[in-house]
Amino acid sequence: MTADAQRRRTVIQILLLSAGFFVLVAISVASVLLVNKSREDNSWVVHSVEAENQISTVLLEVRRAESAVRAYLLSGGPQFLTEYQAAAANVLPGIDHLARLTGDNPAQVQNIAKLRKAAEQRLSEFARGAERVKNNDVSGAVAALRNGSSTGAVETIASVGRDMRNEEDRLFRDRTETADRTQKLASSVTIAGSGMVLALAFGSILLVRQSSRARDRAEIRLRDANLNLEATVDERTADLREANAEIQRFAYIVSHDLRSPLVNIMGFTSELEELNSDIFRRIGGLTQAASGGPPPAAGEIVLEGSDKQLADDFSEALGFIKSSIARMDRLISAILNLTREGRREFQPEQIETRDFVEGIVSSLAHQAAEAQAEIHIEPLPNIVSDRLALEQIFSNLIDNGIKYLKNGVPGEIRIRGRTKLGYAIFEISDNGRGIDPKDHQRIFDLFRRAGTQDKPGQGIGLAHVRALVRRLGGTMSVSSELNAGSTFTVTLPITWNASNRNSDQ
Amino acid sequence: MTLPVSIIMIEDDEGHARLIERNIRRSGVNNEIISFANGTDAINHLFGPDGTGLVQKGNALLILLDLNLPDMTGIDILKQIKENKYLKASPVVVLTTTDDSQEIKRCYELGCNVYITKPVNYENFANAIRQLGLFFSVIQVPPAAS
Repeated sequence: MTADAQRRRTVIQILLLSAGFFVLVAISVASVLLVNKSREDNSWVVHSVEAENQISTVLLEVRRAESAVRAYLLSGGPQFLTEYQAAAANVLPGIDHLARLTGDNPAQVQNIAKLRKAAEQRLSEFARGAERVKNNDVSGAVAALRNGSSTGAVETIASVGRDMRNEEDRLFRDRTETADRTQKLASSVTIAGSGMVLALAFGSILLVRQSSRARDRAEIRLRDANLNLEATVDERTADLREANAEIQRFAYIVSHDLRSPLVNIMGFTSELEELNSDIFRRIGGLTQAASGGPPPAAGEIVLEGSDKQLADDFSEALGFIKSSIARMDRLISAILNLTREGRREFQPEQIETRDFVEGIVSSLAHQAAEAQAEIHIEPLPNIVSDRLALEQIFSNLIDNGIKYLKNGVPGEIRIRGRTKLGYAIFEISDNGRGIDPKDHQRIFDLFRRAGTQDKPGQGIGLAHVRALVRRLGGTMSVSSELNAGSTFTVTLPITWNASNRNSDQ
Repeated sequence: MTLPVSIIMIEDDEGHARLIERNIRRSGVNNEIISFANGTDAINHLFGPDGTGLVQKGNALLILLDLNLPDMTGIDILKQIKENKYLKASPVVVLTTTDDSQEIKRCYELGCNVYITKPVNYENFANAIRQLGLFFSVIQVPPAAS
């Protein structure tokens, strides 16, 4: 998966989550608002019911007062008077209460004004009637009441009451409807919100599954890539090994085949040398004969003048040829030995390094004494490695130290060792003539040497040592200044693993 | 040398062949020396046109063999000689530049009788060949089996 697609997916995920969050907040806010609205609506409904109730109460009180007055008129019983008074006292406060309840509705306010007026008129008629009964004017009271009924106050009260009730009924219906609507709205908002949240959750789950699938795919690809990488590394290693083996074979064959013509050159040069004495003896004889001397006796020809010069030149040429052949033979043998070393199987074994190095040093004691060199061995870490290879490495380096000392300065060679991260690091340092930094690379090349060429050598030792160190899975380096001694550092694995380099062949 | 032993020299390098022959002669060996510069000719001569080796029946041979030949390795020839019922009794001297111990071991395992590395140093080379000549003059060579 590309980084771009991944980023897009992340952004979508964040958007989905925030959308879900906002929907939740919106639903919560809407629910709170709608619930409040619904409570309000319900309170209005209750209000309408209360108002209606109050209308009934007022009308009832008016009727009660009327009945009580009538009863009083008929029977004159004082308990009716008391009842009338109690009922009449409730009428006006009831209307007041009703006015407070319906004060927000102008139509009802008007109705109440009418009702109050009619009720007051009716109450005053009752009061008059009751007064007349108290004064024993029963017939007058009856007439007054009858009169009163005919004035229309009763009708007014009834019709106003009806109107008010109708109005409140209408309000009740409206408000109930509003409350219902609000509740419906609340529930639909909740349902819609829940649906959206569910949808968003579903989307999120899809996305999560998608990214987890993408991750699985990426993991598989990573594993494949790792496997590929390992295969590639193995392949390359095999290639390198093959190339190395090829080079070894090449070096072996070349050096080997070079030897054949060399045998001829050397052989026929020697034959020439044999012939040399015969030829010049004959030339000498001829010269002597030509100059009129006695015929030469065998074995006592003495060459003179230009003949002697010729013979000397001839011998000199042959001498150069032979010494060059000898040198070439040594070089070829060195290459052969190197390639043979490269083919040798290493046998790792536990080596008590300090005793081992002491053994090498004692075998070099004679040279050291001749060069007036002292060799100090410090404690060295033990390693598991090939004994023969290690012996060649140390003896070459120590031998070099002894060989290339400064003239007139007593030599001091020091062998130190330490371990670091699974590697043993050995340092062989001397106070000898040192190596110019520009030659540091060169000295490890085959047949290359550095500095004053006053010691015998082929330029093979360090090349050989480095090849061995590499085969042992280590590295080596030199730090040195001209006239300031040298330190050769050899880093070797503490435990040489037969599988890592032995299969070079 | 009383026996009419033929020395078969299989050596691709003419110079080597010449030097070897010269030094053998110097040691006083006068037997016939038949030299071949490649493996095919040598095989043809040794085993005859039918490839059975029957042509050599009754002949006493001493074979001087170089390992590095242009057309085949001396080891193949050695193997064929030692597997042939007429030739297997003939002594084979491997004389070559190779001084690889594996190679030497291999040759002896295949039945080579003597293995000599050609020294580059001519003194040693001449010496070795002369001694080989002396060796030739004293060893008894059986005729190829009948």
